[in-house]
Amino acid sequence: MIKTYRMYWEFTRKSFQRSAAYRVDSWSRVLGNVMSLGIWGCIWFALYYGKGSVENISFHSMLSYILISMALQGIHSAGTPLWEIQRRVRTGDIAIELLRPYDYPLRMLFTDLGSMSFYFITAIFPLYTVIFIFFQPNIPLSASQWGLFILSAALGYLIRYSLELTFGLFTFWLVETGGVEDIFYFSISLFSGSVVPLWFFPDWLASIASLLPFQGIYFVPNAIFVGELSGQAILPALLNQVIWLVICYGLLRFVWAKASQKIVVQGG
Amino acid sequence: MLKSCLRGLKFYFYMVGVSIKTQLQYRYAFVMNILGWAMTYAGTAITMWVMLYSFQTIRGWMFWELLFLFGLSVLSWSICIIFFFHFRNMDEYIVEGTFDRFLVRPIHPFLHVVALKFDVGAFGQLLFSIVALIIAYAQLGLNWQLSQWLIFLGAVIGGTLIQGGMLVLISGVAFWTTRSERLFWTLMWPAKNLMNYPLTIFPRVIQLLVTFVLPFAFVNFLPALLLLDKTKESFAPYWGFFTLPVGVIFFALCFKFWTIGLNHYKSAGS
Repeated sequence: MIKTYRMYWEFTRKSFQRSAAYRVDSWSRVLGNVMSLGIWGCIWFALYYGKGSVENISFHSMLSYILISMALQGIHSAGTPLWEIQRRVRTGDIAIELLRPYDYPLRMLFTDLGSMSFYFITAIFPLYTVIFIFFQPNIPLSASQWGLFILSAALGYLIRYSLELTFGLFTFWLVETGGVEDIFYFSISLFSGSVVPLWFFPDWLASIASLLPFQGIYFVPNAIFVGELSGQAILPALLNQVIWLVICYGLLRFVWAKASQKIVVQGG
Repeated sequence: MLKSCLRGLKFYFYMVGVSIKTQLQYRYAFVMNILGWAMTYAGTAITMWVMLYSFQTIRGWMFWELLFLFGLSVLSWSICIIFFFHFRNMDEYIVEGTFDRFLVRPIHPFLHVVALKFDVGAFGQLLFSIVALIIAYAQLGLNWQLSQWLIFLGAVIGGTLIQGGMLVLISGVAFWTTRSERLFWTLMWPAKNLMNYPLTIFPRVIQLLVTFVLPFAFVNFLPALLLLDKTKESFAPYWGFFTLPVGVIFFALCFKFWTIGLNHYKSAGS
């Protein structure tokens, strides 16, 4: 058990070191993240221009929301992207992984953890510390709020990871993944509340969003962070995230099991 | 002169024909590619709609006006993709030495690069933008006279030239640095996304930058002011008349830069 754990941990360590070697990649990602933050900051500023509170959300809360959302999206962006998973399936690189004595989805998770923590320590954390000092957004005021936020963000990360890998594995059955990929990106960008929080959705759309797993990725942790989701309301939100994580992870395991068989068949 | 031009065109159409044939080889992929792009842009439009549901307007722009602005930018971008999108891959052609081959062919290297790909995937964007513009036109109750249609046409052609010029400029940089793809994603892509929203929501510095340095404002924002009759903006509406000349001049400058790069070019060696 300890030994297995140590093996996966080794992947994290190596991927951390690899990220350190490819720093240009990291810098261009930071640049992209900051520009995206700038654009969305301007958009929200303009939307609130001349208005006080909309749907009981003040501009300051919204600014805090978009700041933490972009920070989280920055961290997520250091993981293996969907197109990379698709490329591995298409080129057959993934077949080699099956020969090796580890569980592929878990290995991926630990590898991403390495590149993610490198990116977090060297880029996102210092950058957003400066931005946060400058803009003075709402931040969690108590240790418990911080704890709940981190827990929720971690659950969100795992949900996104499970979904992204599952969608990537669909490549085994589809030669061309165009449509599937677009559904994934659209859902991730709209229903997760990545740039437009669910508060501002029309009621019918908000109820659809609340029935989907995507809101657990950014919306719930962001809302906890800015203090709009607090007290008793946090518990059901977290529970919802846990349930979706179990479902998404289960789906990932199921698709992975089917996909591994598919490789065996193709390999003859 | 005329003869060589005609020969160039003949080559061009031949190569485009080949390019289309290769893309049509996989029917399912072809259709999904087009649908995929249309859906991606529709997704952005839906996000805009959701965003404006509670807020109604963004600096005086309502959703249908925003959709018009977005549609206009996507329309010229889709035409630009057909001819110029693969210019961002210039670094690949140079690093892999493919570009050296273009130099010994009986066609101008620039025309050769243009002819390399005729991206049918762009029909997805084209489809989206036309539908979006028709819906916006109807919802806004517009009724254009001939002069406005001419301005619209000028905006589409000029916009194509401005964005195409940008891609040519970026690819020209690769003659010196052998890098262009990254430049596209870090410089041009964000600037393009900026233009999906009314320019007035951004800081003054950026407004000046995309008007006078990289003239993206002429692609959709300035013509839209004129076409939607928006007079209460910080730009006078007559700016929108200039999209076509700005496009022609900007493209000419970028092409000049490209040819200077071409003369400077010494094979990457391998």
